[in-house]
Amino acid sequence: MADALTLSRPVARDAGAVTIQDVSKTFHVENRTVHALDDVSLAIASGEFISIVGPSGCGKSTLLRFLAGLDRPDGGRITVDGEVVDRPSLKRGIVFQDHRLLPWLNVEENVALSLRSLAGAPSAKKERVQSLIDLVGLTGFEKAFPHELSGGMSQRAAIARGLAPRPPLLLLDEPLGALDSLTRSYLQDELLAIREREKSTVVMVTHDVEEAIYLSDRVVVMEPRPGRIAATFDIISRRPRHRDDPDFVATRRKITDLLAKR
Amino acid sequence: MAAMDFSAASRSGIVARALVLPVALLLLWVLLDALGVLKEGIVVSPSQVFATAHEGFADGSLPGAALATLLRALTGWAIGAFAGLVFGLVLGLSGIARNLFDPSISSLRQIALFAWIPLLSAWLGNGEAMKITLIALGAFFPMALGTQAGCQNVPAPFREVGRVLELDRRATITTIIIPAALPSILAGLELSLNIAWLGTFGAEYLIGTGYINGMGDGLGAYLAAAREHARMDQVLLGVLFLALIGIGLDRFVLGFSRRLVSWRTP
Repeated sequence: MADALTLSRPVARDAGAVTIQDVSKTFHVENRTVHALDDVSLAIASGEFISIVGPSGCGKSTLLRFLAGLDRPDGGRITVDGEVVDRPSLKRGIVFQDHRLLPWLNVEENVALSLRSLAGAPSAKKERVQSLIDLVGLTGFEKAFPHELSGGMSQRAAIARGLAPRPPLLLLDEPLGALDSLTRSYLQDELLAIREREKSTVVMVTHDVEEAIYLSDRVVVMEPRPGRIAATFDIISRRPRHRDDPDFVATRRKITDLLAKR
Repeated sequence: MAAMDFSAASRSGIVARALVLPVALLLLWVLLDALGVLKEGIVVSPSQVFATAHEGFADGSLPGAALATLLRALTGWAIGAFAGLVFGLVLGLSGIARNLFDPSISSLRQIALFAWIPLLSAWLGNGEAMKITLIALGAFFPMALGTQAGCQNVPAPFREVGRVLELDRRATITTIIIPAALPSILAGLELSLNIAWLGTFGAEYLIGTGYINGMGDGLGAYLAAAREHARMDQVLLGVLFLALIGIGLDRFVLGFSRRLVSWRTP
């Protein structure tokens, strides 16, 4: 339940652990059966930053929607901290590629909406909203409406909204995909700093192999038809990473080769 | 500030351009009258219309008729639009209500507004109650339809935001569905006012104008009488007033709704 979350405490040390067990999903398109996901299994440790990369149609976004509880798999099950995921929950924050801020609410109100269903004093909620707005660097834009913000600022506000209820698990669906490369690399560093403070487990879907290696503890490569995990790569080098480090380059080569083969 | 000055300037430019055609027609009319080519009885002279207007204002008949029509239209509109809003919300938000009422409402909507006159006059007579009911009926359907469509067509991404933020039903309706539906609701409001205004004239012109239960009032009755007495000057004045008040009402609602959905346009 939503009220099991607390506003004041950081995420517990062992929270946000994910188990994905034999998850399958088929779609029927014009009498054809498409295996969007075929027996996908993956365990994600608490506090881990996982990226899922793969070509379109590999089912990575479908998998993320299952994790969010927005859709349900045909077979298999997903648990977070032992609890079966069967509907959306504030314990699993999600940031979509199209920021999905409500255009009729300003930044402050958009972020505050994520705390509406939580127990807590209005003053505590207000404080939390402000601290999140400060954290993502939108101080001074509290009253701005989405149409007055740039793409990067909108995405920051969306990240603040996703983080405000202190979800043990943060799901990112190509959160930086629609941004220009400068804003993008800047926000990647921000994302790392934010996660350092909030201590959530993060699962991010992305098209960008470099982004995945730069940010993650582990990169999961998926392949399409049927959608399944092709390989996983542990990224052990210390942060901050540099895109021209030898091991960075080597890992990127391995992943892009693997993706090119499909 | 500079941007606002600019928009004010371009706005007056737009108004000036919109006035070109009416002013040109007016000048043509004056010119033709001066040349003496206007046929008496079919087209009256500008000076005669002006004199009739002066007379109408002096004895209060013209502003009186306009006011009666305006009040009648606004009353019927308020009743019909409010009922339409309530109905549209219920139908837009509840699948059960939709199954129960939608087919009936859709069928009733197909009936032309003035086709209700025989039925309504049998039930309500030809007095004020009947006219207001007819106007309200006209206002009801576009409002109900706009509201229902707006509630039903909330984009799925916004609904998903409500789900992932675990908003309860009430919060979902007040913070997501109604704001998202607002442009459609306001479009329904504008259209309902338009229909109410047209319906008011029809009600005044067709019902209770001397044939059945004595002269009614309002611009519709004014026009009917003018026609009866072949007063082309009065006909023109009545039409002019209908157009001017109609466009005034339209602009008022348009300005009001732009303010409400200011988040839509940067």
